[in-house]
Amino acid sequence: MKWVEDILQTVDMLQSEHLDVRAVNMGIDLFDCADRDIERACRLAKEKIIKRAAPLVRACESVSRRYGIPIVNRRVAVSPVADAMAGHGGDDLVRFARSLDEAAEEAGVDFIGGYSALVQKGMTVSDKALIETLPEVLSQTSRVCASVNAASTKAGINVDALLLLGEMWLAAAHKTASADGFACCKLSVFANIPEDNPFMAGAYKGIGEPETVINIGVSGPGVVKRAIERLLQSGRRYDLGSLAEEIKSTAFRVTRCGELIGREVASAVGAQFGIVDLSLAPSPEVGDSVGEIFESMGIARVGGPGTTAALAMLNDAVKKGGAFASSSVGGLSGAFIPLSEDASLARAAEAGHLTLDKLEAMTSVCSVGLDMIALPGDTSAETLAAIAMDELAIGVVNNKTTSVRLIPVPNKRAGERAVFGGLFGECPILAVPNGTSAAFVRMAGRIPAPLVSLNN
Amino acid sequence: MALDRIGIVRDVSAALAALGGSITHISQTVMRGYFTLILSVEMHEERTQLEIRQAVERAGAVGELEVNVRPFVEPPSAEPRSVERFTLSLRGADKAGLIACATTYLAAKGISIEDVYAYVRDSRALVLAQVRVPADLDVEDLQTGLQDALSDFEVAAHLQHENIFKATGELEPVLGLQRIKP
Repeated sequence: MKWVEDILQTVDMLQSEHLDVRAVNMGIDLFDCADRDIERACRLAKEKIIKRAAPLVRACESVSRRYGIPIVNRRVAVSPVADAMAGHGGDDLVRFARSLDEAAEEAGVDFIGGYSALVQKGMTVSDKALIETLPEVLSQTSRVCASVNAASTKAGINVDALLLLGEMWLAAAHKTASADGFACCKLSVFANIPEDNPFMAGAYKGIGEPETVINIGVSGPGVVKRAIERLLQSGRRYDLGSLAEEIKSTAFRVTRCGELIGREVASAVGAQFGIVDLSLAPSPEVGDSVGEIFESMGIARVGGPGTTAALAMLNDAVKKGGAFASSSVGGLSGAFIPLSEDASLARAAEAGHLTLDKLEAMTSVCSVGLDMIALPGDTSAETLAAIAMDELAIGVVNNKTTSVRLIPVPNKRAGERAVFGGLFGECPILAVPNGTSAAFVRMAGRIPAPLVSLNN
Repeated sequence: MALDRIGIVRDVSAALAALGGSITHISQTVMRGYFTLILSVEMHEERTQLEIRQAVERAGAVGELEVNVRPFVEPPSAEPRSVERFTLSLRGADKAGLIACATTYLAAKGISIEDVYAYVRDSRALVLAQVRVPADLDVEDLQTGLQDALSDFEVAAHLQHENIFKATGELEPVLGLQRIKP
C-alpha cells in the first residue's frame, strides 16, 4: 500500500540512508562589540557568543533526540570580522580570532566562521590586514574558519586580492606543513558569497541578516542514491526525466525534515529562523557520497563523459525539490563536490578519471566550486591565484556562487596523497601546470563586471 | 464483521436509517478478505440493543454478519499527561509473541496505541502503529529500551515523531508543525 511504502521510505531515510542535519549554524551579529580597545572588543564578543551559542548545543541535542535526526555539527557564524573590527591592525585581529576560538570552545560549537573580508571591488585597510593574518590565524586556532569574497557579478574579480591570497595560501600551508597544509582547509574564497550559507568554511553572518539567526544545512547523498537505486530496481519504466523526478521528490522530503528541525531549534533558542540549505554535502563515509550517486546513475567512471550532465541534472532536481518544499531555501542548495571529503570522488581522481580540468567544468553546473583540492607544494602564488580566477569567473559570468578551497601541500608532488583527517578526508594531489599564467595574473587590478551585471 | 462483498456498508447503513438512526462516525477496513466496520449511531427513537443488532443482521444473508451493539459511553476526556503522536515501526523476522512483547513494553511506559496495522509476508513481519507518547518521556531512551525488550526477536524497531511524516508527506507549511512555538 502506498501509505505503508511512504512511511517505510521515510523511516529508511532517517535510519539507514544517512539523512542528517549536517550543520545548524547560528549567525550572531558582532557589530555592537566593536571597540577601539581590542581587549574590550574581545571580551564583549566572547561574552555575546557564549551567551547566545551555549543554549544552541542543548537545543540541538533535545530536538535531535525527539525527532531521531542526527545533527552533525553545531556552528556559529559572526559578522565579517574585517568590517566589525575595522580600524584594528593585524596583531589585534589575531588577538580577536583567538577570542573567537575560545568562545567557540566554551560554547561547545564545532566551528566558528566569519573571519571574513568582502573585497570583491577593493580592499580596505582592515580587509588587507585580515587577509595578511590568515596564515597565523588558521594555523594557530582550531575552530576559526575564514572566507574572502573576492569577486561578484556586480563588481567583477579583484585580482589584487587573489594575488595576495595566493601568497597567504602558501604561507598558511607552510605553517601547517606537518598536517599537509591543513590550515588551508579552513579558508574558502568566493564569488557571490551568500550571506546565509550554513556550511563551513564559508559561513559568515551577512550584513542584512537579523541579530541572531538559525540557518540550517541538510545533507543526504545517501538518501538520493537509494532513491535512484529503488527506481532502477522497481521494474517500472524509467528514463532520465523520471530519474530527475525521483531526485526532486526525495529533495522535497529531505528539505522538509530540515526545515522542521531548523524551526524547532530556532524557537528553542529564541532566534529567527533563516534558511534551510539543501546541499548534497558528502563525507568520507561510505554511502554518503556524491560520487556514488553518479555511479548509481550509470556513470561507471566518475569524471568520464556524461559526468557534467549528470551533475547538472542532479543539482537542478535538488534545487527544484527544495524550492517546492519550502519558501525558506537559501545558502548554496545544490551538490557539493569536495574532492578529499568524498571517498568516491577521491578514488576517481586517484584513478586519473577526475582531473582539475574536469572538476572545473563540473563546477559550472553545481554548487560550489573547486572544493578541498590538494595541489603540489611547489605551486606558485600566481598559479593559485589563476586557478581561483578561473573558478570565480564561472561564478561571476553565470551569476552564481562559486568558490575555491585550495590546499598546496608542502613538500609533496602530484600523485602523492594528502591526508587531512576526519570529515576533511584525504585525496590525491592533482597535477597543475605551474607558472604558465604568471604574466597575466601579475597585471593585477580588477577584471570588470560582466555585461550580465547591468540588469537594473 | 463478515466476509467481504460489495454493498455491506450500503446494506448496514440502510438498515440503521430504517430504524431512524443517524451515523456520526465510521471506521471500516478489509483485512485478508474480511470486512470490519465500527459505527457510531445516534438513535432518534428509543431502541434496544437487541432490536438494533437484529435489524443489522437481517441486512445480510442468514449468518453472514456478525454484529455487536453497545451503548455509547463518553470516554474520559482529559489526558492525564500531555502526549505526542509517534509512529512505531517493527520490521524483521516473524516470530510468535512479537506484538505481545512490543505492546507490553509500550503499556509499561504509559504509551497508548491509537491505530495498528500489521502483516506477515514471506516470513517477514511488519507492524506499524500510531502511538501516543507522554511528552515527558525521552524518545531516544524509549527507542533503546524497546530495542532491548525485543532482543529475542530479529526486528528493527523505530519510533518516529508524526511531524516527520507530516512534513515529508503533506504540503502544509512546516511552520504549522512546530512543536515549540515561536
